[in-house]
Amino acid sequence: MKLGDGLWMPMGVSRWHRFARRFDWPLFFLIALVAGLGLANLYSATHATAHSGKFDSHAVRIAVGSLIFLGLTAVDYRKLQRFVWLGLLAVVGLILAVAVVGHASGGATRWLDIGGMRLQPSELAKLGVLAVLAHVVHGYRSGEVSPGASVLLASLALVPIGLVAAQPDLGSAIVVGLIATSIGVVAIPRVWPLFAAGGLGLTMLPVLWDYLQPYQKQRWLTFLDPSADPTGAGWHTQQSIFAVGSGQMTGKGYLNATQNQFSFLPEHWTDFPFSVWAEEWGFVGSAFLLAAFAALILYILYLALRARDEFGSMICVGVAAMLFWQLVINIAMVLGLAPVVGVPIPLISYGGSSLLATVIGLGLVSSVAMRRHDY
Amino acid sequence: MLIRSAPGTQTVAPHLRRRVRWVVLFIVAALALLVARLWQLQVVRGEEYHQRALSNVVEERRIPPVRGKILDREGVALAENRPAFNIYVKPHIVDGRQKNRLADLLELSADERARASARLRTAWDRGERGSVLLLEDQGRDRASLVAQSRLEFPGVQVRDEPYRTYPKGTMAAHLLGYMNQLTGAELEDKEGRDYVLGDMMGRHGLEKQWESYLRGQSGMEQVVVDASGRRVEDEAIEQTLIEGPKIEPPLPGRNVVLTLDYELQAAAEEAAAQEAAASIAVTEIDSGRILALVSQPSFDPNVMTGHLSRADERRLLADPRRPFVDKTLASHYPPASTFKAFTALAELERDEDASPEEAISCGGYHSLGSHRFHCMGNHGGLDMREALKRSCNVYFYQLGERNGLGRLSDVALSFGFGAPTGLGINADVKGRVPTPAYYRERAGFVAPGHALNVSIGQGDVAVTVIQMAMAYGAIANGGKLYVPQVVGRLESSSGETIVEFEPRLRSELDVSDRSLEVVREGLAMAVAEPGGTGYRGARSEIVEIAGKTGTAQVSSGRGQPEGEYEWHPDRNHSWFVGWAPADEPEIAFSVLIPHGGGGSQAAAPVARDILEAYFADRADISAHVDEQGGGEAEGEGHGGETARAAVRDGDEGARREGGEL
Repeated sequence: MKLGDGLWMPMGVSRWHRFARRFDWPLFFLIALVAGLGLANLYSATHATAHSGKFDSHAVRIAVGSLIFLGLTAVDYRKLQRFVWLGLLAVVGLILAVAVVGHASGGATRWLDIGGMRLQPSELAKLGVLAVLAHVVHGYRSGEVSPGASVLLASLALVPIGLVAAQPDLGSAIVVGLIATSIGVVAIPRVWPLFAAGGLGLTMLPVLWDYLQPYQKQRWLTFLDPSADPTGAGWHTQQSIFAVGSGQMTGKGYLNATQNQFSFLPEHWTDFPFSVWAEEWGFVGSAFLLAAFAALILYILYLALRARDEFGSMICVGVAAMLFWQLVINIAMVLGLAPVVGVPIPLISYGGSSLLATVIGLGLVSSVAMRRHDY
Repeated sequence: MLIRSAPGTQTVAPHLRRRVRWVVLFIVAALALLVARLWQLQVVRGEEYHQRALSNVVEERRIPPVRGKILDREGVALAENRPAFNIYVKPHIVDGRQKNRLADLLELSADERARASARLRTAWDRGERGSVLLLEDQGRDRASLVAQSRLEFPGVQVRDEPYRTYPKGTMAAHLLGYMNQLTGAELEDKEGRDYVLGDMMGRHGLEKQWESYLRGQSGMEQVVVDASGRRVEDEAIEQTLIEGPKIEPPLPGRNVVLTLDYELQAAAEEAAAQEAAASIAVTEIDSGRILALVSQPSFDPNVMTGHLSRADERRLLADPRRPFVDKTLASHYPPASTFKAFTALAELERDEDASPEEAISCGGYHSLGSHRFHCMGNHGGLDMREALKRSCNVYFYQLGERNGLGRLSDVALSFGFGAPTGLGINADVKGRVPTPAYYRERAGFVAPGHALNVSIGQGDVAVTVIQMAMAYGAIANGGKLYVPQVVGRLESSSGETIVEFEPRLRSELDVSDRSLEVVREGLAMAVAEPGGTGYRGARSEIVEIAGKTGTAQVSSGRGQPEGEYEWHPDRNHSWFVGWAPADEPEIAFSVLIPHGGGGSQAAAPVARDILEAYFADRADISAHVDEQGGGEAEGEGHGGETARAAVRDGDEGARREGGEL
């Protein structure tokens, strides 16, 4: 441990130099690139509408998020490792609090009012589960925890999935589940039992169907047959496809997305920001955005291989999974390949909780990246 | 690749490296799939989706045409248009819940709610994509309520559009007609003929008959709208998005200029208002043009046009006087003594021997076998003019016996009875002239009594008010039977004449002017001379009137109710038919007061009031007529002429038009 005794590193000029030298600039630039695209897109998605204030608040959140990112970068992630269970407990507490005093919207209770800010604990659950699983993997690999205990702890870490699904926030629950699966696939030496369990899980789908809310069933049915409900969810998918398709090769140009300006898509700043982007920038711009995102995700996986320890490595894998799955699910929805579920695109979608979870995750990755030079 | 180039830091397990390689492959494959989908949507089908997105925001909005006016002969508007707020919805955006919230916001009545729901349902069934009229002619407060809540109600909008209005209210309502919305079935019928869901069309009278001329042709405007159907009024956006002409103006409908004289119509309506019900036609003698056409009780076409509540509808349908039936055209009635003019003509045209000077003695009844056909008085000996003046039944029984049913019905048919007049609106029923064949078919034989009943216009004879006006017009003008004409010309919306319609002669009657002159003299005497049936009720100081009263018995005579002006279905129908001025005829009139009582009592004064109003301006004021002469009017007593043969209620032939509500 070279970095002082406290969690917080007082920064003198020489330390700043050292920080700047060890700081992972490629990671930072990739994040800045994606966040910048997101910010520009959000401006187009909300300008000249009643929601133009959302751009301002998103910009402020990006600024605050940068500070959180830098702060976490400065902290050695290994010092945080001992707090992961506490963190998960806090997330579970928040999710339970939502059930009691939560704010309902659109048939589901997902929000918590904290001092005038609305927090969506299911977003933080992604992070909490990810961190605990990384910790469990770390314990298992280092031999500190027996395999049996590891499995037990890992199952305990999956409790929030059930809680989130019960809110109901199916989208977030699926994302958390996929993050956990991703970590498992990468970390577990013999991975085939996991796939077998997954296959078994699929056979359980008809049973789960009964537990879905009517609107959720509707969305799945609509996905399978979009013309079944041309005014509801199917209409949104249709309009989203019109938007994306009408962008053609090079797009209609910045601020010229008629589909979105004239509000053919609801809440397009959270659920359909990519359709705005695709309409304005066309195939070329869409492919560029996906490429930028892919670069970020792959770079984080590269960092996973370079991390000093198992915990840091799994943090990277988990955050990469968090970015990847949300990106893929959202865009598949926008392109009519998946049902309409409320999964945001990290850094692109409007939404404070999602942004908070993302910058914390990326801050941890940055911390891991910086610590890789420590021996 | 990134992973391969990673220098070995042996903290990472080897299997992790392998796994991450698979994971990278998976990620690249997944993103490649998305890129492939993007290629499919944006490059392969891009053009198609571009068009779809464009049609999303560029809406072809129909501009309804301004309907032509209906004007009287001087250009007074009887039906025109005023601006109104119409509330439209886009059925693919507005769902049932939204509709209910809108209904709550506007505090719609149960009626309005039901109507709005029905319209929306039709629109949903038809899968309409454009805007559909939900509520027409709404008040300013509702319009502004919708405008204020437009964020809450995407897909709902208010448009300012022309709306049919009838500035004279109930006046000539049956003739003008009214408008209401097309039903779903009618819409299917008119597919592709410029009618859309929510359109109104003419429902009765001239609005219906002249629909295709009045209607005009709708225009089209291309506007940019957002997802809620709200117009985006931005010049730059419009220029980039709209292809082709921005606006195609609608073509306004043609104005229909009537032969109707508004002032005379007003006077006739006012005169008729003294009675519980009335049916009046006033025509020009030398053209057959209709100057006034009244059927009361009536309805207010302004109410009928989109504002008829169920309660009003029930009330109108329950009214025993049948306000929806045009009593001038859609109902026939027994003509009673007004028919005697034609019996007289049958006699005069019979052969050379027939003479108007021949005196026939009236002893109060006429015997046929053991049966006595009664007269209303004991008139003593009288000739034809005197018989017409005093309406002696016995005299005409004699003529009936002499001429037989065949001759009587031939003359009646030649005067246009028993066939539609050709006006072509509101049923224009033909009435009934019983011929010998008619009785042979109906009773199996023709009895002499049949001819006797017909000779005084009872029995099975039935005529319409408009037929009567045309026939008396022919007596007055020397034998020219015209087709009644109510539309004088069509003009463009700017007032230029497009077509002028000439009077149409129906037939030139084969009746000598000498015969007609006898009848004219008799009918002039009936009003001008004491003892004439119209002397008391119709004699005017302003204009000399010639006319024949008639009292059509409705029941057997039992249960004649008390009270002069009370509506009672057992009371006799009261007729007064004729022309004025008596010596130089200008206009013919036919006044029927259904269940009004005696002809001289109810119908005659109404006719006099109308004619006085018409001739008041023209009367030579210097030639002041002396004071009212000896007030001793004899003539018909209470109850008028009767004939024993029962006469069914004249309304029998009426076609109910309730189905058109």
